[in-house]
Order: sequence, then structure tokens, then C-alpha cells
Amino acid sequence: MFTTLPAAFQEQPPASTQSQSGWRIALLTAVAAVAAISMIPFVYLLVRASDKPIDEIVQLLFRQKTLEVLATTALLVICVVAINLVLGVAIASGLHFVQLPFRRLLVIPAVLPLAIPSYVFTYTWVALVPSFSGFAAAVFILSISTIPYIILATLAGLRSIDGSQIEVARSLGLNPRQTFSRVVFPQIRGHVSAGALLAGLYTMSDFGAVSLLNIETLTVSIQNMYRASYDRSAAAVVSFVLIAFSILFVLADESIKGKSTQSQLLKSHSVKTPLVKKGYLRFATVAIITAFATVAVILPFYVLLTRFFSNPVAIDGPALVSATISTVSVAAFGALIALVLSAPLGLLLSGGSSRFANVTNKIVVIAHALPGVVVGLALVSIGSKLGPLYQTTFLLAFAYAILFLAKSVTSMSSSLARVPNSVKDVAATLGMNQWAVVKKVIAPIAAPGIGIGTILVFLTAMKELPATLMLRPTGFETLATQIWSFGSINRFNEAAPYALILVLVAAIPTFLISRPDKDTHSYELESTRGQK
Amino acid sequence: MKKLAASTAALMMLVLVAGCSSSSNEQASDVTELTVYSGRSEEFIAPFFADWEASTGIKLNVRYGDSAELSAQILEEGNNSPADLFLSQDAGSLGAIAQAGLFTKLPSDVAADIPAAYVAANRQWVGITGRARVFAYAPDRVKTLPVSITDLTKSIYKNQIGIAPTNASFQAFLTALIENKGTAFAKTWLEDLQANGVKIYLKNSAIVEAIDKGEISIGLVNHYYVWEVSESLGRAINAKIGYFAPGDLGNLINVSGAGVLKTSAKQKAAQDLINYLTSGPAQQQFVSDTHEYSLLDGAQSPSELPALDKIGAPSIDLKTLSNIKATQDLLIQVGLL
Repeated sequence: MFTTLPAAFQEQPPASTQSQSGWRIALLTAVAAVAAISMIPFVYLLVRASDKPIDEIVQLLFRQKTLEVLATTALLVICVVAINLVLGVAIASGLHFVQLPFRRLLVIPAVLPLAIPSYVFTYTWVALVPSFSGFAAAVFILSISTIPYIILATLAGLRSIDGSQIEVARSLGLNPRQTFSRVVFPQIRGHVSAGALLAGLYTMSDFGAVSLLNIETLTVSIQNMYRASYDRSAAAVVSFVLIAFSILFVLADESIKGKSTQSQLLKSHSVKTPLVKKGYLRFATVAIITAFATVAVILPFYVLLTRFFSNPVAIDGPALVSATISTVSVAAFGALIALVLSAPLGLLLSGGSSRFANVTNKIVVIAHALPGVVVGLALVSIGSKLGPLYQTTFLLAFAYAILFLAKSVTSMSSSLARVPNSVKDVAATLGMNQWAVVKKVIAPIAAPGIGIGTILVFLTAMKELPATLMLRPTGFETLATQIWSFGSINRFNEAAPYALILVLVAAIPTFLISRPDKDTHSYELESTRGQK
Repeated sequence: MKKLAASTAALMMLVLVAGCSSSSNEQASDVTELTVYSGRSEEFIAPFFADWEASTGIKLNVRYGDSAELSAQILEEGNNSPADLFLSQDAGSLGAIAQAGLFTKLPSDVAADIPAAYVAANRQWVGITGRARVFAYAPDRVKTLPVSITDLTKSIYKNQIGIAPTNASFQAFLTALIENKGTAFAKTWLEDLQANGVKIYLKNSAIVEAIDKGEISIGLVNHYYVWEVSESLGRAINAKIGYFAPGDLGNLINVSGAGVLKTSAKQKAAQDLINYLTSGPAQQQFVSDTHEYSLLDGAQSPSELPALDKIGAPSIDLKTLSNIKATQDLLIQVGLL
């Protein structure tokens, strides 16, 4: 679900008719608009940074502190991504290949941590272990927060592998390890890399966990500069260090993806992957998932429930209900905008090699690494000039779309890439216009993957705090702002009901993503369609 | 597809709900609403707002946030700010708005009883409550109390001290240090603290919690945090308040305060809210409910604390503490920001 199409399969459509070139112009215009929207925070940072004289900028960029913070950020990202790769790929492979009791249900606890914001993880772990602080603690929290991204991405990759290839590999005498490294891994490398990219960007832009644990990353440094100083230019300058670092990360992902050898052909027969039945592997898989679920789901829930029931203050029911409705509606609105914005870019990315689409995609992905406070202030700067639009749920939802567009674009483009050009060409030959091809051929095949991307935006938007504080309508409370409000004066018991509701509400779409009957999602749909 | 259509329909419904719930900031001929940006937390200030709403019939739209972030937001909004009044935890955030020329000059009959020492030059903003800089310490671990802030660089406190450099009150104190002793002195003091293994925290309450947990033994905070942390934990904590020798810069008195935006069309109503917050009864309520100092002459002090004029605060004019920029440049230079 996360990969873009390997170059070999990206053939240009044949003979461009009048309507096709019109379609392409419309697509390019729409993508240009998306690029312009995603550029807003960068333009804002450039304007703010240019307020500073050049010698001060140089001094700020090359002072020891900046380098230290950059080193901390890099080390944190590397540790989190490394742990993610090992544990995430192991858990996903176990879930996919090993014969397990309740195999399909076990996906749920592996993905559920997506529903828990990193600051809630931190609060609960500090409650469990009072001395919980420092670098190792930050690696731990950010790893359990982001492993689900890798699990989801890896599972999507594994599910797209034709089981018959594995049977062939086995019959040729390869042992399971050789099968994995020679047949399986080359095909999922792109997916895994895309999942690692999301996990890394999340780590870079996280503020809640690292600030509570006293680790100074670039995002904390930027936020501190805004918070402590009225010198917004210094914060803008440091933001460019973060941008440069995320560019490196994006380029690394691209070079890995370029090497992946995933086949794009639709499977006409759904050959089931043979399940491994070895006892020690079954035990190891169950053990690792149980351990992960314990630290990332059960213990945090236990703390929240204890706090919830020990809270002596009566719960403000109406405030809780209204914050829940506000949170769900504005996050859904943001996910919808992200869905609309990602459609033209996804179509262009999947429809052939377009340098313009690739550059726009990178802008979108790098915007994902920006701290919420930066995007928030950029939209305050522009939004306050828009009169009645300012501090409306629309502008807030729009900010969510800019912040999290990368999530919907990656899944959109890889889902659309699943539709072979030959199918589109056949549809066109049968006299369908481009719009009809999108509606009747492309959308049905790509829908499940696109749905997952939209849900990921929705989930992340529900947890968002810094941009929400700045852009919400005055008096508009979300679950995250309420948790912040009580947390800022150390009333964690009173914050607990809001945290609990946030986690429970977020668990519903998380459950949808990991739903057992989604196990064989898009390709089964495709094969049934093929038989009709 | 049906499912997709159904969920799209559900999303559309939510969008409609979201659209309807957005608030507008229409101006009425008669003032019926006032927009406040409040850096003071809802828990402690909302009861005051509710009283004022009840007595005037004007509805308050309150935007809660961090004082400095709200001030950054007002600076970004410039002349388009929807805020009528900005209520801040600290004078620094107010000073930044005043410096940008976004506050209006308050008439002399607004907050008339607040002593001039706690009012900005040009009356761009006024103080609402007082807070004293103190040190919090663990009485069982700290045997020799510091007499001056310069004692904190001594080896007996090595790895035992906590500060919060991003905190506005700490920065106000540092500004006073720079104004009175010079940048070179302040720089040396900070570097000596760093060499003495000073630990950095995000906020004052985190320092007090760290003392209670035993992570550190002493920290520079505002006076009410020991009460606030104990209150929120619902138990007595292992931390006490200490004062430096009379006149030491470590005993600085700082204020929370408010200013009215130049662009507000509701000047009178905003001034009335300031008058209410600085009135005798409200000031007394701050003392008893939030453990802050009243700024009115001869007011009672929070329980178990010395009166504002008995703390031994340095005679520093808060108005001279506007050069936050120099302070922050210094903090950036030594790597504490």
C-alpha cells in the first residue's frame, strides 16, 4: 500500500487523443495547486528566516548547540527506525507466514497503538515508572508509537506476493531463510522503506513525547524558540536544518525503493501463502506480539483506567461529549480534504514517470516532517488576512490536510499503481473516457488502500495539538486540547477521561484498518472482478 | 463501493456538523461578546471570567494557550487579530506585543489602584497578580541553603540544580541580571551553572516534581509551584520554598498582566474586564484560590508566605525588563535555548 510503481512498469499510455491531453492538463493544474498549497509553510519559513541578517543565520546554523541537537535527532531517528525495522518486519512476517491461533485477530493489538498519541504513552509510562526519562525512554515511546506503520506497510507488501512464488522457491530447495531473503524481501523492500519513512518523519516531528522526556530534538528546539523567544526568525532558521535532514531521509527512501522488484501484475488466482507450523516459530511470534501488546496497549490502558476510576472530580459529561464530536468532525473534515488533494497527485504519480509529480510528492512528504507549530503559525500568518475564514474548523481541517497529506498520498499512489496500464488501456479501447476509467476501473480496485490512507490522516489529525491550539475557533475544544489543558497544570487524573475517550474513539478506525476480513483486501477483490 | 459511498456520506455529515459549529467574530453595535486570548490556564481563571460574564451579561470567547505561543500568534496576526484582550502569565509576552505597537494605551482610570511599579511605561499593559521568584528545595537533602544566586555555581550543589530556561519568569530574572550586572557577568554565571551540571527542565512544575522525586535537590521557580504541584498530586511533597538574602536578584517579583489590543473595537468592555480583575474582591480571590500575590497596597499575602514587601525583593523596575531579546540571544549563545 505504500510503494510507488517501479519504473519498468510505468509505460506511457498509447496514442494521446484530444480528450486525454485535456485530461492531463486538468491533472497537471490540480497537482500544481496541491504543490502550491504544500509550499505554504516553506514560503512562510523563508520569509521569516530572511528577517535575520546573514551572519546571524550562519552563526545560528553552525553553533555547537544546533549540531548537538541535530546529532540527537539523527541518533533518535536511527534508533527508532532500526528497532522498527527489526521488530516491525518480524511481527508482520510472523502474522503473515506462521500458523497461529486466532491469527487474523492478532493483527489488531499489533496495530492498535496507532490510536494512542505519543504524549499519552509518555504520561502513562511516567505514571508506571516515575524515573522514566531520557534518551532510551524516548526511543522506547517513539518505537511503540511508530511500529504499527511498519507492520501495516510490511503486511501490505507481503499480501501482494503471489504465494505460488514461495512454493516454487521451496520446491527448488531454498530453506525458509533463503526464501525470505531472496524471494520475499526484495519484493517488500519498497513497502518496508515507505513504512520506515513515515516512522522516521513521525519521530522528527514529534514534540509531546520528547519534550516530556527531556530530550532536545530539532522539533523541541524550534518549539522552544517560539515559546521562549519572540524571535520567530531564529526558529525559522532552525526549521531549515530539520528540512535538510528530512530531505536526506526522503532521498535514502527513494534509493531503496528504486531497487525494489515488486511485480505489479494482478494475481488472477489467489494462491494462499503456505503457513509455517514450526513450534518454536509459533511460540516466538506469539511471545513477541504479546510482549508488544503488553507495553504498547495493555499497560497504557491499565493506567488510563486506574486514573479514570480514581479521579475524584466529577466528569464534565457535556464537555466530554462536545470535545469528542468536535475532534471526530474536524479530523474527518481534514481527512476528506487530504483525500481530495491527494487524488490528482496520486493519479499523476501512478500514471507514468512525471518529474513534476515526483517533486510535488517530495514537498508533500517533507511538509510531514515539519513541527505542527510551524504549519500552525504559517496558517495564522495567512489565515488572519482571510477575515471570516480565520479560526474556523475549515482552516484547522486544512492545516491537518497539509500536515498529514503525505500519509494519504503514499497510500493513494501505491493503490493506484496496482491498476495495470493494460487494464486502463482496455477500458479506453472499449470507449470509456478518462473520467469513466477512473470511476469504473481505477476507483474500485484502489479504494481499500485509499481508505487506509484516509483513515491514517484521520487518526493522526485526532491526536494533533500545536496547530490545533492556534487554528481552532475560539472556545472550540478537542480531546487533545483538553488533555493539554489539564496536563499543563499537572491534573493528570482529570485529563484521563479525555485520553481514554480519544484512545477508544481512535481504536474504531484502527480496528477497521486491521480488520481480519481486510486480510486479503485488494487483490481478492481484483480477482473476483476479473472472473466476472 | 457501497461501503465507500456510505462512509463518504458519513464524512459529509460530519463536515456539515463541523461547518455549523465554527464560531464567528461578528461585531455587534452593542457589545455582547468579547474575545480574550488567555495564557493563564482555564482551571484557575475560568471562575473569574464566569463572574464577570454574570455581572455584565457579556459573553467571553476565551482562547486558551501558552502565553508565549499566544503572543507569537498575535504578532503573526498583526492588525488582523480577532483578540480584544490578551491576558498573559508573564510580563515578557506582554512586552513583546507592546514593542510591536499592537497594544493601546490604557486610560489612567483603568486599574487605577495597581501601583505604578507593576504597570508598563505608557500604560500599554497592567499587572494583575504578583509572583515571586524563589528557590524550591528538598529540606532533607539541602543542608546549606544558598544566600545568593552566585552560590548556585558552588560545588556543593553540583548536579543538584534545576532551571527552566524557556520559562518566561526565568528569562525575566535573567534580564534583570543582565541589566544590573552586565552581559559578561550573566554569561559567566550561566556557563558556571552549566559547568556545575545544571539540569534543564521544560517548566517550573517539572522542576518541583523532580525535586520531589529526588532527581535534583534545588531549583529556581515561581513561589506558587510548590503549592500547585502538591495540590495536583493530592499529597504533601518533599519540597519547600526558600528565599535568597534580601535584595538578591533571585528574589525578583514578576507579574501576570493584561493589555488591550489597539485593533479592538470593544475598548470599554475590555477595560472593564481589567478593572474587574484588579478590583479588591477579585484580587483577594487570586490570593486564596491560586496562591498568587495581590498587587494592591496592603493586601493579604497567600497563606504561610511573607508579604510582598517582606520578601526582600530587589528594587527593580519591571519596565526596565523589556529587553528580552538580549536575554534570549545570550541563552542561545550559551546553548540553553
